[in-house]
Amino acid sequence: MQMRTASMISTGLHAAVLLFAVVTFTGKSLEATPVEALPVDLLSEKEFSEMTKGVKDAPKPDKPKPLVEKIDTPKPVEQQAPKIDTKKEIAPTAEKPPEPKPPEPKKEAKAEPEKPAQETPKPDPIAEKLKQPDKPKQETKTEQPKKPDKPEKKPPKFDASKIAALLDKRDPTRNAATGSELSSSPSLGTASGLAAQLSQSEIDALRARLMALWNPPVGAQDANSVQITIRIRFKRDGTLEIGPQVLTSGSGVQFNAMRDSAVRAVLVGQPYTMLRPDHYDSWKEIDFTFDTKEMFHDIPVRRPL
Amino acid sequence: MNPADVAQSVLPLTSSDLSLFTLFWHAHWIVKLVMIGLLVCSVWVWAIAIDKTVLFNRTRRAMDRFEQAFWSGQSLDELYRSLSAKPSHSMEALFVAAMREWKRSFEGPQRSIAGLQMRIEKVMQVTIAREIERLERRLLVLATIGSAGPFVGLFGTVWGIMTSFQSIAASKNTSLAVVAPGIAEALFATAIGLVAAIPATIFYNKFAGEVNKQAQRLEGFADEFSAILSRQIDDRE
Repeated sequence: MQMRTASMISTGLHAAVLLFAVVTFTGKSLEATPVEALPVDLLSEKEFSEMTKGVKDAPKPDKPKPLVEKIDTPKPVEQQAPKIDTKKEIAPTAEKPPEPKPPEPKKEAKAEPEKPAQETPKPDPIAEKLKQPDKPKQETKTEQPKKPDKPEKKPPKFDASKIAALLDKRDPTRNAATGSELSSSPSLGTASGLAAQLSQSEIDALRARLMALWNPPVGAQDANSVQITIRIRFKRDGTLEIGPQVLTSGSGVQFNAMRDSAVRAVLVGQPYTMLRPDHYDSWKEIDFTFDTKEMFHDIPVRRPL
Repeated sequence: MNPADVAQSVLPLTSSDLSLFTLFWHAHWIVKLVMIGLLVCSVWVWAIAIDKTVLFNRTRRAMDRFEQAFWSGQSLDELYRSLSAKPSHSMEALFVAAMREWKRSFEGPQRSIAGLQMRIEKVMQVTIAREIERLERRLLVLATIGSAGPFVGLFGTVWGIMTSFQSIAASKNTSLAVVAPGIAEALFATAIGLVAAIPATIFYNKFAGEVNKQAQRLEGFADEFSAILSRQIDDRE
């Protein structure tokens, strides 16, 4: 039947196309070098705050290496002082030796006129002509002694301040140098590091204590977020050095009630034994914020960090 | 299905041997089934396309030939005698059916001219319907493959990607070398689906238009012929 031949043709066509595809279709492998894994550590806030804490018994590095930001072979600063050229100074003296030469032709000139004078007393025009050049030679003779004076007018200038300017070519704004090695020595805490600070647990303890003691006036929870920041100065034993200072300014009955309640909480809470005396410097003065809205999630504002 | 098996079935396929055969061979059996089914569909689509192309060409040529004979001035009885001997299609069949009804009405023991006109038209309508049915046969297959092929291929792809993700989970390795082969073989299913569906859609549209054209031609001839016969009937009365 007609359909059978058609399907046979179709099958043959497909077989041919498939065969062609199998032969030609190959995935070329893309050359991609595996990327080096970038290690990432997850730190809790407490771990992070303790990370930069200096350790007093850390081993001392035998040689503190200079802090460098780039690895490079240290370049010697080029000596750019002007070279003192001694040759020029010698030059005027070297020119001197030719000076004695001019007298030689003079002798010849003088000798020649003598011979004709012996033979013929007639004045020889040639002799006269030869005598005439004598005059300019004598003039040059007188001028030559002046020549050595000229080079002496330019003595090599040796300005010390200029050399200093050439030497210090580094940009004054740069704050690190290149060196042969990156400094890997552990420091005992940098200036901006959070060394010897309050650990998160201490802050949490302090906050928990204050929040537990804080009894905001009735209705304060419904009001808009009211924040009262109080500066607390501690003594070493955890008691208050002076009374709590209210930094937030405001007015109104509700604000006063709120402020008083916060001050009360601070006063009642002492002594704050959760603060370790060895970190006294960091909690000597603390700004603590009482927030009605975030009463249970607030973060104290720390001053001397 | 055991994830370890999936991992083993996918992992040996590295990016270095992504030939067509390995793509097929490493695929999940459901994906394989989809691929084979789509390949068979593609073969079927092209078979139908070849068949229909030949059929339509032949029909058109037969119509041209018949119309030439019909309008050549030859007597209709003669033409009928020459055509009724062998089975015929399209316009010839239309003519033969109408003539047969005509002759039966006049050559019977009693002449029944009263409803002859209506009978002839009915017979011609039926013949046209039969002819169109013959031309349209299997075109629905093309339509179905054209619309469903991509979906079937997509199903294979989704399944293949599912298994490749299972293999990722099993091997606990998300590098592209693990993921890529599975996805490549999965996409292969969609590719075959499209290869089957695109020609199917194109051929379906083409043949549907062709059927329409030929049907109109048959209708036109039927109207013309029935007008001629109607005049003949009126003359006989």
